[in-house]
Amino acid sequence: MSAATAMDGTSPFTPGAVARTHSVELRNVSRWYGNVVAVNDVSCVLTPGITGLLGPNGAGKTTILHVMAGLLRPSAGSVSVDGEGPAGNPGIYRTIALVPEGEAVQSFLTGYEFVHMSARLQQLPDAVAAARRAIALVDLEAAQGRTVSTYSKGMRQRIKIAGALVHDPGVLLLDEPFNGMDPRQRLQMIDMLRSLAQSGCVIVISSHILEELNDLASNVLVMVAGRLAASGHFREIRRLMTDRPHTFTIVSSNDRALAAALLSDESVFGVELAAPGVVVRTKDRGAMTRNLARVARDGSIRLLEIKPTDQSLESVFAYLVDR
Amino acid sequence: MSGPLDMTVVWLTWRQLFARRRIYVAAAFALLPVIFTIFFKFAADDYEGARLAFFSGVSRELIIGTLVPLAAALFGTTAFGGEVDDGTLVYLLVKPIPRWRIVFSKYVVAVLSTVGVMIPAMVLPWLMLSGPDLPFDVLRGFLLGGAGGAAIYCALFLSLGLATRRALVFSLLYVIAFEAVLSRNLVGVKSLSVREFAVAMSQAASNGAIVLKSYVVPMTTVWTMSAILLIGALALSLWQLSRYELAERV
Repeated sequence: MSAATAMDGTSPFTPGAVARTHSVELRNVSRWYGNVVAVNDVSCVLTPGITGLLGPNGAGKTTILHVMAGLLRPSAGSVSVDGEGPAGNPGIYRTIALVPEGEAVQSFLTGYEFVHMSARLQQLPDAVAAARRAIALVDLEAAQGRTVSTYSKGMRQRIKIAGALVHDPGVLLLDEPFNGMDPRQRLQMIDMLRSLAQSGCVIVISSHILEELNDLASNVLVMVAGRLAASGHFREIRRLMTDRPHTFTIVSSNDRALAAALLSDESVFGVELAAPGVVVRTKDRGAMTRNLARVARDGSIRLLEIKPTDQSLESVFAYLVDR
Repeated sequence: MSGPLDMTVVWLTWRQLFARRRIYVAAAFALLPVIFTIFFKFAADDYEGARLAFFSGVSRELIIGTLVPLAAALFGTTAFGGEVDDGTLVYLLVKPIPRWRIVFSKYVVAVLSTVGVMIPAMVLPWLMLSGPDLPFDVLRGFLLGGAGGAAIYCALFLSLGLATRRALVFSLLYVIAFEAVLSRNLVGVKSLSVREFAVAMSQAASNGAIVLKSYVVPMTTVWTMSAILLIGALALSLWQLSRYELAERV
Protein backbone atom coordinates (compact mmCIF):
# COMPACT_ATOMS: atom_id res chain seq x y z
CA MET A 1 0.00 0.00 0.00
CA SER A 2 1.44 3.35 -1.00
CA ALA A 3 1.72 6.34 1.25
CA ALA A 4 -1.29 7.77 -0.51
CA THR A 5 -4.01 5.31 0.22
CA ALA A 6 -7.62 4.92 -0.72
CA MET A 7 -9.55 5.17 2.50
CA ASP A 8 -11.64 2.17 3.31
CA GLY A 9 -10.65 1.79 6.92
CA THR A 10 -8.63 3.28 9.71
CA SER A 11 -5.61 5.29 8.66
CA PRO A 12 -3.23 5.93 11.52
CA PHE A 13 -0.83 8.84 11.34
CA THR A 14 2.08 8.74 13.68
CA PRO A 15 4.77 11.26 12.79
CA GLY A 16 7.76 9.62 14.40
CA ALA A 17 9.52 12.64 15.85
CA VAL A 18 6.60 13.73 18.01
CA ALA A 19 5.71 12.13 21.30
CA ARG A 20 2.19 10.75 21.35
CA THR A 21 0.46 12.76 24.02
CA HIS A 22 -2.92 13.55 22.47
CA SER A 23 -5.04 11.80 19.90
CA VAL A 24 -8.30 12.10 18.01
CA GLU A 25 -9.99 8.98 16.72
CA LEU A 26 -12.96 8.71 14.38
CA ARG A 27 -14.51 5.29 13.89
CA ASN A 28 -16.93 4.86 11.01
CA VAL A 29 -18.34 8.31 11.60
CA SER A 30 -21.33 9.30 9.52
CA ARG A 31 -23.43 12.39 9.86
CA TRP A 32 -26.55 13.20 7.94
CA TYR A 33 -29.10 16.00 7.94
CA GLY A 34 -32.44 14.55 6.91
CA ASN A 35 -31.81 12.94 3.55
CA VAL A 36 -28.47 14.68 2.98
CA VAL A 37 -25.36 12.74 3.93
CA ALA A 38 -22.68 15.23 4.99
CA VAL A 39 -20.11 12.70 6.18
CA ASN A 40 -20.09 9.06 5.21
CA ASP A 41 -18.25 6.34 7.16
CA VAL A 42 -15.05 8.21 7.97
CA SER A 43 -12.38 6.55 10.09
CA CYS A 44 -8.99 7.91 11.04
CA VAL A 45 -6.63 8.32 13.96
CA LEU A 46 -4.82 11.62 14.36
CA THR A 47 -1.79 11.93 16.60
CA PRO A 48 0.55 14.89 17.30
CA GLY A 49 1.55 16.77 14.18
CA ILE A 50 -0.25 18.75 11.51
CA THR A 51 -2.90 17.07 9.40
CA GLY A 52 -4.49 18.80 6.46
CA LEU A 53 -8.15 18.19 5.73
CA LEU A 54 -8.50 18.86 2.03
CA GLY A 55 -11.60 18.94 -0.12
CA PRO A 56 -13.87 21.14 -2.19
CA ASN A 57 -16.58 23.26 -0.62
CA GLY A 58 -19.38 21.10 0.75
CA ALA A 59 -17.16 18.03 1.06
CA GLY A 60 -17.89 17.69 4.77
CA LYS A 61 -14.68 19.19 6.18
CA THR A 62 -16.43 21.53 8.59
CA THR A 63 -18.81 18.78 9.67
CA ILE A 64 -15.83 16.54 10.49
CA LEU A 65 -14.13 19.33 12.45
CA HIS A 66 -17.33 20.00 14.38
CA VAL A 67 -17.73 16.30 15.11
CA MET A 68 -14.15 16.22 16.43
CA ALA A 69 -14.89 19.32 18.51
CA GLY A 70 -18.03 17.78 20.02
CA LEU A 71 -20.27 20.43 18.48
CA LEU A 72 -22.01 17.82 16.33
CA ARG A 73 -22.98 14.32 17.35
CA PRO A 74 -22.28 11.64 14.75
CA SER A 75 -25.41 10.03 13.32
CA ALA A 76 -23.45 6.76 13.30
CA GLY A 77 -20.01 5.74 14.52
CA SER A 78 -18.01 7.23 17.34
CA VAL A 79 -15.41 9.90 17.99
CA SER A 80 -12.98 10.18 20.87
CA VAL A 81 -10.45 12.79 21.94
CA ASP A 82 -7.82 11.42 24.31
CA GLY A 83 -10.18 8.49 24.85
CA GLU A 84 -13.21 10.62 25.76
CA GLY A 85 -16.29 11.43 23.73
CA PRO A 86 -16.32 15.20 23.14
CA ALA A 87 -20.08 15.75 22.65
CA GLY A 88 -21.81 16.92 25.83
CA ASN A 89 -18.50 16.93 27.69
CA PRO A 90 -17.52 20.57 28.47
CA GLY A 91 -14.42 19.43 30.39
CA ILE A 92 -12.87 18.26 27.11
CA TYR A 93 -12.44 21.91 26.08
CA ARG A 94 -9.44 22.18 28.37
CA THR A 95 -7.81 20.00 25.68
CA ILE A 96 -9.61 20.99 22.46
CA ALA A 97 -9.59 24.38 20.79
CA LEU A 98 -11.55 25.25 17.68
CA VAL A 99 -11.03 28.15 15.30
CA PRO A 100 -14.30 28.26 13.38
CA GLU A 101 -14.65 29.36 9.77
CA GLY A 102 -15.93 32.83 8.98
CA GLU A 103 -15.39 36.19 10.56
CA ALA A 104 -17.86 35.92 13.42
CA VAL A 105 -16.25 37.37 16.54
CA GLN A 106 -17.87 39.54 19.20
CA SER A 107 -17.16 42.71 17.23
CA PHE A 108 -17.92 45.07 20.13
CA LEU A 109 -14.97 43.70 22.12
CA THR A 110 -11.39 44.80 21.67
CA GLY A 111 -8.90 42.18 20.52
CA TYR A 112 -7.46 42.01 24.02
CA GLU A 113 -10.90 41.68 25.63
CA PHE A 114 -11.74 38.80 23.29
CA VAL A 115 -8.59 36.84 24.12
CA HIS A 116 -8.73 37.71 27.81
CA MET A 117 -12.35 36.54 27.88
CA SER A 118 -11.24 33.22 26.37
CA ALA A 119 -8.56 32.91 29.07
CA ARG A 120 -11.06 33.63 31.83
CA LEU A 121 -13.59 31.18 30.40
CA GLN A 122 -10.78 28.60 30.43
CA GLN A 123 -10.40 29.44 34.13
CA LEU A 124 -6.66 30.02 33.77
CA PRO A 125 -4.89 31.14 36.95
CA ASP A 126 -3.22 34.11 35.23
CA ALA A 127 -5.60 35.07 32.46
CA VAL A 128 -3.91 38.42 31.79
CA ALA A 129 -0.48 36.89 31.15
CA ALA A 130 -2.01 34.09 29.06
CA ALA A 131 -3.92 36.61 26.92
CA ARG A 132 -0.83 38.77 26.36
CA ARG A 133 1.25 35.73 25.40
CA ALA A 134 -1.39 34.48 22.92
CA ILE A 135 -1.74 37.93 21.34
CA ALA A 136 2.05 38.13 20.97
CA LEU A 137 2.03 34.72 19.26
CA VAL A 138 -0.18 36.05 16.48
CA ASP A 139 1.62 39.41 16.37
CA LEU A 140 -1.39 41.57 17.19
CA GLU A 141 -0.03 43.52 20.14
CA ALA A 142 -0.24 46.82 18.30
CA ALA A 143 -3.93 46.37 17.48
CA GLN A 144 -5.08 44.64 20.67
CA GLY A 145 -6.73 47.80 22.03
CA ARG A 146 -8.93 48.30 18.96
CA THR A 147 -12.42 46.87 18.71
CA VAL A 148 -12.64 43.78 16.53
CA SER A 149 -15.14 45.58 14.27
CA THR A 150 -12.21 47.65 12.95
CA TYR A 151 -10.09 44.58 12.13
CA SER A 152 -9.35 43.30 8.65
CA LYS A 153 -10.33 39.73 7.74
CA GLY A 154 -6.78 38.50 8.36
CA MET A 155 -6.61 40.22 11.75
CA ARG A 156 -9.90 38.63 12.76
CA GLN A 157 -8.51 35.24 11.85
CA ARG A 158 -5.43 35.89 13.95
CA ILE A 159 -7.35 37.10 16.99
CA LYS A 160 -9.56 34.00 16.75
CA ILE A 161 -6.42 31.86 16.70
CA ALA A 162 -5.05 33.76 19.72
CA GLY A 163 -8.30 33.06 21.56
CA ALA A 164 -7.96 29.38 20.74
CA LEU A 165 -4.29 29.17 21.77
CA VAL A 166 -4.70 30.95 25.08
CA HIS A 167 -4.88 27.72 27.11
CA ASP A 168 -2.18 25.74 25.23
CA PRO A 169 -4.61 23.21 23.72
CA GLY A 170 -3.57 19.65 23.04
CA VAL A 171 -5.87 19.43 20.04
CA LEU A 172 -6.24 22.43 17.75
CA LEU A 173 -8.88 22.37 15.01
CA LEU A 174 -8.65 25.16 12.43
CA ASP A 175 -11.32 25.65 9.80
CA GLU A 176 -9.90 27.48 6.75
CA PRO A 177 -7.57 29.51 8.98
CA PHE A 178 -5.59 31.26 6.24
CA ASN A 179 -8.57 33.03 4.69
CA GLY A 180 -7.77 36.71 4.43
CA MET A 181 -4.17 36.44 5.62
CA ASP A 182 -1.41 38.03 3.59
CA PRO A 183 1.69 35.95 2.69
CA ARG A 184 3.77 37.33 5.57
CA GLN A 185 1.05 36.54 8.10
CA ARG A 186 0.67 33.07 6.60
CA LEU A 187 4.37 32.32 6.95
CA GLN A 188 4.33 33.56 10.52
CA MET A 189 1.30 31.41 11.27
CA ILE A 190 2.90 28.37 9.64
CA ASP A 191 6.01 28.76 11.84
CA MET A 192 3.86 29.07 14.93
CA LEU A 193 1.74 26.03 14.07
CA ARG A 194 4.84 23.97 13.33
CA SER A 195 6.38 24.69 16.71
CA LEU A 196 3.05 23.94 18.36
CA ALA A 197 2.91 20.58 16.56
CA GLN A 198 6.45 19.79 17.67
CA SER A 199 5.41 20.37 21.26
CA GLY A 200 2.89 17.51 20.98
CA CYS A 201 -0.26 19.24 19.75
CA VAL A 202 -2.63 17.50 17.35
CA ILE A 203 -3.43 20.11 14.71
CA VAL A 204 -6.06 19.67 12.02
CA ILE A 205 -6.32 22.34 9.31
CA SER A 206 -9.11 22.30 6.76
CA SER A 207 -8.61 23.84 3.36
CA HIS A 208 -9.97 23.58 -0.16
CA ILE A 209 -6.62 24.60 -1.65
CA LEU A 210 -3.92 21.92 -1.80
CA GLU A 211 -1.06 24.39 -2.11
CA GLU A 212 -2.17 26.08 1.11
CA LEU A 213 -1.11 22.94 2.95
CA ASN A 214 2.28 22.86 1.22
CA ASP A 215 5.20 23.05 3.67
CA LEU A 216 2.75 22.74 6.54
CA ALA A 217 0.80 19.51 6.71
CA SER A 218 2.91 16.41 6.34
CA ASN A 219 -0.25 14.35 6.24
CA VAL A 220 -3.31 15.14 4.18
CA LEU A 221 -6.79 13.67 4.35
CA VAL A 222 -8.77 14.25 1.16
CA MET A 223 -12.52 14.48 1.58
CA VAL A 224 -14.93 14.38 -1.34
CA ALA A 225 -18.71 14.32 -1.05
CA GLY A 226 -18.56 13.34 2.60
CA ARG A 227 -16.16 10.45 2.08
CA LEU A 228 -12.51 10.17 2.96
CA ALA A 229 -11.19 9.65 -0.56
CA ALA A 230 -7.45 9.43 0.04
CA SER A 231 -4.82 10.07 2.62
CA GLY A 232 -1.08 10.36 2.71
CA HIS A 233 1.83 12.72 2.63
CA PHE A 234 1.33 16.03 0.93
CA ARG A 235 3.73 15.14 -1.91
CA GLU A 236 1.92 11.88 -2.63
CA ILE A 237 -1.45 13.60 -2.80
CA ARG A 238 -0.05 16.26 -5.11
CA ARG A 239 1.51 13.61 -7.35
CA LEU A 240 -1.82 11.79 -7.54
CA MET A 241 -3.55 14.96 -8.55
CA THR A 242 -0.91 15.88 -11.12
CA ASP A 243 -0.47 12.43 -12.67
CA ARG A 244 -4.14 11.63 -13.03
CA PRO A 245 -5.55 11.27 -16.58
CA HIS A 246 -5.95 14.68 -18.18
CA THR A 247 -8.04 15.87 -21.09
CA PHE A 248 -6.94 18.64 -23.46
CA THR A 249 -8.64 20.30 -26.37
CA ILE A 250 -6.06 21.22 -29.04
CA VAL A 251 -6.89 23.43 -32.01
CA SER A 252 -4.37 23.27 -34.87
CA SER A 253 -3.93 24.06 -38.54
CA ASN A 254 -4.66 20.38 -39.40
CA ASP A 255 -6.69 18.68 -36.65
CA ARG A 256 -7.15 15.37 -38.52
CA ALA A 257 -3.40 14.96 -39.15
CA LEU A 258 -2.61 15.91 -35.58
CA ALA A 259 -5.11 13.32 -34.27
CA ALA A 260 -3.53 10.59 -36.38
CA ALA A 261 -0.01 11.54 -35.24
CA LEU A 262 -0.95 11.68 -31.56
CA LEU A 263 -2.45 8.16 -31.67
CA SER A 264 1.09 6.80 -32.04
CA ASP A 265 2.15 8.50 -28.80
CA GLU A 266 2.15 6.00 -25.91
CA SER A 267 1.16 8.64 -23.35
CA VAL A 268 -2.09 9.24 -25.25
CA PHE A 269 -4.96 6.78 -24.78
CA GLY A 270 -7.77 8.58 -26.50
CA VAL A 271 -8.22 10.99 -29.39
CA GLU A 272 -11.47 12.41 -30.67
CA LEU A 273 -12.14 14.96 -33.35
CA ALA A 274 -14.15 17.91 -32.15
CA ALA A 275 -15.38 21.01 -33.90
CA PRO A 276 -12.97 22.68 -33.96
CA GLY A 277 -9.94 20.83 -32.61
CA VAL A 278 -8.98 17.47 -31.16
CA VAL A 279 -9.87 16.19 -27.71
CA VAL A 280 -6.86 14.28 -26.36
CA ARG A 281 -6.86 12.07 -23.26
CA THR A 282 -3.53 11.32 -21.65
CA LYS A 283 -2.36 9.46 -18.57
CA ASP A 284 0.95 11.37 -18.50
CA ARG A 285 0.45 15.07 -18.93
CA GLY A 286 4.16 15.90 -18.92
CA ALA A 287 5.11 13.35 -21.59
CA MET A 288 2.17 14.26 -23.80
CA THR A 289 2.89 17.99 -23.78
CA ARG A 290 6.56 17.33 -24.54
CA ASN A 291 5.71 14.96 -27.41
CA LEU A 292 3.05 17.26 -28.78
CA ALA A 293 5.62 19.83 -29.85
CA ARG A 294 7.67 17.17 -31.65
CA VAL A 295 4.62 15.66 -33.37
CA ALA A 296 3.48 19.08 -34.54
CA ARG A 297 6.91 19.98 -35.84
CA ASP A 298 7.36 16.65 -37.68
CA GLY A 299 3.94 16.98 -39.32
CA SER A 300 4.33 20.69 -40.07
CA ILE A 301 1.20 21.36 -38.06
CA ARG A 302 0.73 24.74 -36.44
CA LEU A 303 -0.71 24.61 -32.92
CA LEU A 304 -3.27 27.37 -32.38
CA GLU A 305 -4.69 26.59 -28.96
CA ILE A 306 -4.12 24.06 -26.15
CA LYS A 307 -6.71 24.10 -23.42
CA PRO A 308 -7.07 21.71 -20.44
CA THR A 309 -10.75 20.84 -20.11
CA ASP A 310 -10.96 19.15 -16.70
CA GLN A 311 -9.05 21.43 -14.34
CA SER A 312 -11.89 22.21 -11.97
CA LEU A 313 -11.15 21.28 -8.36
CA GLU A 314 -14.24 19.10 -8.33
CA SER A 315 -12.95 17.02 -11.26
CA VAL A 316 -9.60 16.56 -9.52
CA PHE A 317 -11.29 15.35 -6.34
CA ALA A 318 -13.77 13.23 -8.31
CA TYR A 319 -10.82 11.43 -9.84
CA LEU A 320 -9.50 10.56 -6.40
CA VAL A 321 -12.87 9.09 -5.46
CA ASP A 322 -13.23 7.03 -8.65
CA ARG A 323 -9.64 5.86 -8.61
CA MET B 1 -15.66 31.32 39.36
CA SER B 2 -17.38 29.19 41.97
CA GLY B 3 -21.11 29.46 42.55
CA PRO B 4 -23.91 29.28 40.05
CA LEU B 5 -22.82 32.40 38.16
CA ASP B 6 -19.90 32.58 35.75
CA MET B 7 -18.87 36.22 35.97
CA THR B 8 -17.22 36.17 32.52
CA VAL B 9 -20.45 34.98 30.93
CA VAL B 10 -22.29 37.65 32.93
CA TRP B 11 -19.86 40.32 31.68
CA LEU B 12 -20.09 39.13 28.06
CA THR B 13 -23.89 38.96 28.15
CA TRP B 14 -24.05 42.40 29.67
CA ARG B 15 -21.86 43.80 26.90
CA GLN B 16 -24.01 42.06 24.28
CA LEU B 17 -27.32 43.26 25.68
CA PHE B 18 -26.26 46.86 25.83
CA ALA B 19 -24.23 46.95 22.63
CA ARG B 20 -25.37 49.12 19.77
CA ARG B 21 -28.73 50.87 20.13
CA ARG B 22 -30.27 48.62 22.72
CA ILE B 23 -29.19 50.98 25.49
CA TYR B 24 -31.32 53.75 23.94
CA VAL B 25 -34.34 51.46 23.64
CA ALA B 26 -33.93 50.52 27.30
CA ALA B 27 -33.67 54.19 28.29
CA ALA B 28 -36.79 55.01 26.28
CA PHE B 29 -38.67 52.19 28.06
CA ALA B 30 -37.61 53.58 31.43
CA LEU B 31 -38.53 57.18 30.61
CA LEU B 32 -41.94 56.59 29.05
CA PRO B 33 -43.87 56.46 32.38
CA VAL B 34 -42.00 59.57 33.53
CA ILE B 35 -43.26 61.47 30.49
CA PHE B 36 -46.81 60.23 31.16
CA THR B 37 -46.49 61.37 34.78
CA ILE B 38 -45.33 64.85 33.75
CA PHE B 39 -48.37 65.19 31.48
CA PHE B 40 -50.61 63.94 34.29
CA LYS B 41 -49.20 66.42 36.82
CA PHE B 42 -49.80 69.37 34.57
CA ALA B 43 -53.01 68.28 32.88
CA ALA B 44 -55.08 66.49 35.58
CA ASP B 45 -57.96 68.43 37.09
CA ASP B 46 -57.90 66.61 40.43
CA TYR B 47 -54.21 65.76 40.60
CA GLU B 48 -54.03 64.88 44.31
CA GLY B 49 -57.22 62.86 44.35
CA ALA B 50 -56.35 60.88 41.26
CA ARG B 51 -52.67 60.17 41.78
CA LEU B 52 -53.12 56.75 43.43
CA ALA B 53 -55.39 55.62 40.62
CA PHE B 54 -53.00 57.08 38.04
CA PHE B 55 -49.91 55.47 39.55
CA SER B 56 -51.69 52.11 39.89
CA GLY B 57 -52.88 52.33 36.31
CA VAL B 58 -49.44 53.23 34.96
CA SER B 59 -47.72 50.54 37.01
CA ARG B 60 -50.22 47.83 36.16
CA GLU B 61 -51.07 48.55 32.55
CA LEU B 62 -48.08 50.40 31.16
CA ILE B 63 -45.15 49.03 33.17
CA ILE B 64 -46.16 45.50 34.23
CA GLY B 65 -48.51 44.99 31.30
CA THR B 66 -46.34 46.42 28.52
CA LEU B 67 -42.83 47.61 29.39
CA VAL B 68 -41.76 44.61 31.47
CA PRO B 69 -42.75 42.01 28.85
CA LEU B 70 -41.25 44.13 26.05
CA ALA B 71 -37.97 44.63 27.93
CA ALA B 72 -37.91 40.93 28.85
CA ALA B 73 -38.52 40.04 25.20
CA LEU B 74 -35.67 42.30 24.14
CA PHE B 75 -33.16 41.10 26.73
CA GLY B 76 -34.36 37.50 27.11
CA THR B 77 -34.29 36.66 23.42
CA THR B 78 -31.02 38.52 22.83
CA ALA B 79 -29.16 36.83 25.69
CA PHE B 80 -28.72 33.71 23.54
CA GLY B 81 -30.36 34.81 20.31
CA GLY B 82 -27.74 37.47 19.58
CA GLU B 83 -24.96 34.89 19.68
CA VAL B 84 -26.98 32.36 17.71
CA ASP B 85 -27.63 35.00 15.05
CA ASP B 86 -24.06 36.22 14.63
CA GLY B 87 -22.45 32.80 15.06
CA THR B 88 -20.43 33.68 18.17
CA LEU B 89 -22.14 31.16 20.47
CA VAL B 90 -19.43 28.71 19.43
CA TYR B 91 -16.89 30.62 21.53
CA LEU B 92 -18.90 29.87 24.67
CA LEU B 93 -19.67 26.29 23.68
CA VAL B 94 -15.99 25.34 23.30
CA LYS B 95 -15.12 26.37 26.83
CA PRO B 96 -15.01 24.08 29.89
CA ILE B 97 -18.04 25.63 31.57
CA PRO B 98 -21.02 23.55 32.64
CA ARG B 99 -23.96 24.38 30.41
CA TRP B 100 -26.29 25.06 33.35
CA ARG B 101 -23.93 27.80 34.52
CA ILE B 102 -24.05 29.47 31.10
CA VAL B 103 -27.87 29.32 31.09
CA PHE B 104 -28.17 30.60 34.65
CA SER B 105 -25.67 33.43 34.12
CA LYS B 106 -27.43 34.65 31.00
CA TYR B 107 -30.82 34.31 32.69
CA VAL B 108 -29.73 36.41 35.66
CA VAL B 109 -28.38 39.15 33.38
CA ALA B 110 -31.62 39.21 31.37
CA VAL B 111 -33.71 39.49 34.56
CA LEU B 112 -31.48 42.17 36.08
CA SER B 113 -31.56 44.17 32.84
CA THR B 114 -35.36 43.98 32.69
CA VAL B 115 -35.70 44.91 36.34
CA GLY B 116 -33.12 47.65 35.77
CA VAL B 117 -35.44 49.19 33.19
CA MET B 118 -38.51 48.70 35.41
CA ILE B 119 -37.12 50.27 38.59
CA PRO B 120 -36.63 53.85 37.30
CA ALA B 121 -39.84 53.51 35.29
CA MET B 122 -41.72 52.92 38.56
CA VAL B 123 -39.68 54.78 41.14
CA LEU B 124 -39.37 58.11 39.29
CA PRO B 125 -43.15 58.54 38.79
CA TRP B 126 -43.72 57.51 42.42
CA LEU B 127 -41.25 60.17 43.59
CA MET B 128 -42.86 62.76 41.33
CA LEU B 129 -46.32 61.94 42.64
CA SER B 130 -45.32 61.47 46.31
CA GLY B 131 -48.04 62.06 48.83
CA PRO B 132 -49.75 60.47 51.88
CA ASP B 133 -52.26 58.59 49.73
CA LEU B 134 -49.43 56.96 47.75
CA PRO B 135 -47.55 54.97 50.40
CA PHE B 136 -44.30 53.07 49.81
CA ASP B 137 -46.25 49.79 50.09
CA VAL B 138 -47.89 50.53 46.76
CA LEU B 139 -44.51 51.02 45.08
CA ARG B 140 -43.07 47.96 46.80
CA GLY B 141 -46.02 45.83 45.71
CA PHE B 142 -45.72 46.79 42.04
CA LEU B 143 -41.91 46.51 42.11
CA LEU B 144 -42.01 42.98 43.51
CA GLY B 145 -44.86 41.95 41.23
CA GLY B 146 -43.05 43.37 38.22
CA ALA B 147 -39.83 41.63 39.23
CA GLY B 148 -41.74 38.35 39.54
CA GLY B 149 -43.18 38.88 36.06
CA ALA B 150 -39.73 39.74 34.69
CA ALA B 151 -38.30 36.52 36.16
CA ILE B 152 -40.91 34.37 34.38
CA TYR B 153 -40.89 36.30 31.09
CA CYS B 154 -37.09 36.17 30.86
CA ALA B 155 -37.04 32.41 31.43
CA LEU B 156 -39.59 31.93 28.64
CA PHE B 157 -37.86 34.28 26.20
CA LEU B 158 -34.39 32.92 26.96
CA SER B 159 -35.57 29.51 25.82
CA LEU B 160 -37.24 31.03 22.77
CA GLY B 161 -33.91 32.68 21.83
CA LEU B 162 -32.31 29.24 21.60
CA ALA B 163 -35.24 27.70 19.75
CA THR B 164 -35.62 30.07 16.81
CA ARG B 165 -33.84 32.89 15.03
CA ARG B 166 -37.12 34.83 14.99
CA ALA B 167 -37.44 34.78 18.76
CA LEU B 168 -38.01 38.52 19.12
CA VAL B 169 -40.87 38.45 16.59
CA PHE B 170 -42.51 35.45 18.27
CA SER B 171 -42.09 36.94 21.74
CA LEU B 172 -43.67 40.22 20.62
CA LEU B 173 -46.56 38.29 19.06
CA TYR B 174 -46.99 36.45 22.36
CA VAL B 175 -46.92 39.68 24.38
CA ILE B 176 -49.40 41.43 22.09
CA ALA B 177 -51.76 38.58 21.24
CA PHE B 178 -51.80 36.54 24.44
CA GLU B 179 -50.83 38.88 27.25
CA ALA B 180 -52.30 42.14 25.97
CA VAL B 181 -55.46 40.94 24.23
CA LEU B 182 -56.54 37.46 25.33
CA SER B 183 -55.62 37.60 29.02
CA ARG B 184 -57.34 40.95 29.47
CA ASN B 185 -60.58 39.80 27.92
CA LEU B 186 -60.92 36.12 28.73
CA VAL B 187 -61.10 35.20 32.41
CA GLY B 188 -60.18 31.57 31.70
CA VAL B 189 -56.88 32.64 30.11
CA LYS B 190 -55.85 34.72 33.13
CA SER B 191 -54.68 31.56 34.93
CA LEU B 192 -52.03 31.19 32.19
CA SER B 193 -51.03 34.83 31.89
CA VAL B 194 -47.72 35.99 33.33
CA ARG B 195 -49.05 39.52 33.37
CA GLU B 196 -51.94 38.44 35.63
CA PHE B 197 -49.49 36.55 37.87
CA ALA B 198 -47.41 39.72 38.24
CA VAL B 199 -50.51 41.77 39.09
CA ALA B 200 -51.59 39.22 41.69
CA MET B 201 -48.08 39.21 43.17
CA SER B 202 -48.17 43.01 43.34
CA GLN B 203 -51.38 42.95 45.36
CA ALA B 204 -50.07 40.23 47.65
CA ALA B 205 -46.79 42.08 48.30
CA SER B 206 -48.34 45.47 49.06
CA ASN B 207 -49.56 44.81 52.61
CA GLY B 208 -53.08 45.63 51.50
CA ALA B 209 -52.13 48.97 49.92
CA ILE B 210 -53.12 47.72 46.47
CA VAL B 211 -56.71 46.57 46.23
CA LEU B 212 -57.74 45.52 42.75
CA LYS B 213 -61.40 45.47 41.89
CA SER B 214 -61.09 43.21 38.85
CA TYR B 215 -60.54 39.46 38.97
CA VAL B 216 -57.20 38.51 40.52
CA VAL B 217 -55.73 35.04 40.00
CA PRO B 218 -55.58 33.12 43.32
CA MET B 219 -52.09 33.05 44.79
CA THR B 220 -51.99 29.24 44.89
CA THR B 221 -52.44 29.22 41.14
CA VAL B 222 -49.90 32.04 40.75
CA TRP B 223 -47.13 30.26 42.67
CA THR B 224 -47.82 26.88 41.08
CA MET B 225 -47.97 28.18 37.52
CA SER B 226 -45.02 30.53 38.04
CA ALA B 227 -42.86 27.69 39.36
CA ILE B 228 -43.87 25.41 36.49
CA LEU B 229 -43.16 28.06 33.84
CA LEU B 230 -39.92 29.29 35.42
CA ILE B 231 -38.35 25.91 36.13
CA GLY B 232 -39.74 24.38 32.94
CA ALA B 233 -38.38 27.18 30.72
CA LEU B 234 -34.94 27.14 32.35
CA ALA B 235 -34.77 23.34 32.13
CA LEU B 236 -35.76 23.60 28.46
CA SER B 237 -33.00 26.18 27.85
CA LEU B 238 -30.48 23.89 29.51
CA TRP B 239 -31.61 20.96 27.40
CA GLN B 240 -31.53 23.07 24.22
CA LEU B 241 -28.02 24.33 24.93
CA SER B 242 -26.75 20.85 25.82
CA ARG B 243 -28.12 19.53 22.52
CA TYR B 244 -27.13 22.60 20.52
CA GLU B 245 -25.31 21.66 17.34
CA LEU B 246 -23.34 23.79 14.93
CA ALA B 247 -24.46 22.49 11.57
CA GLU B 248 -22.58 23.02 8.35
CA ARG B 249 -24.94 24.01 5.57
CA VAL B 250 -24.89 21.10 3.13
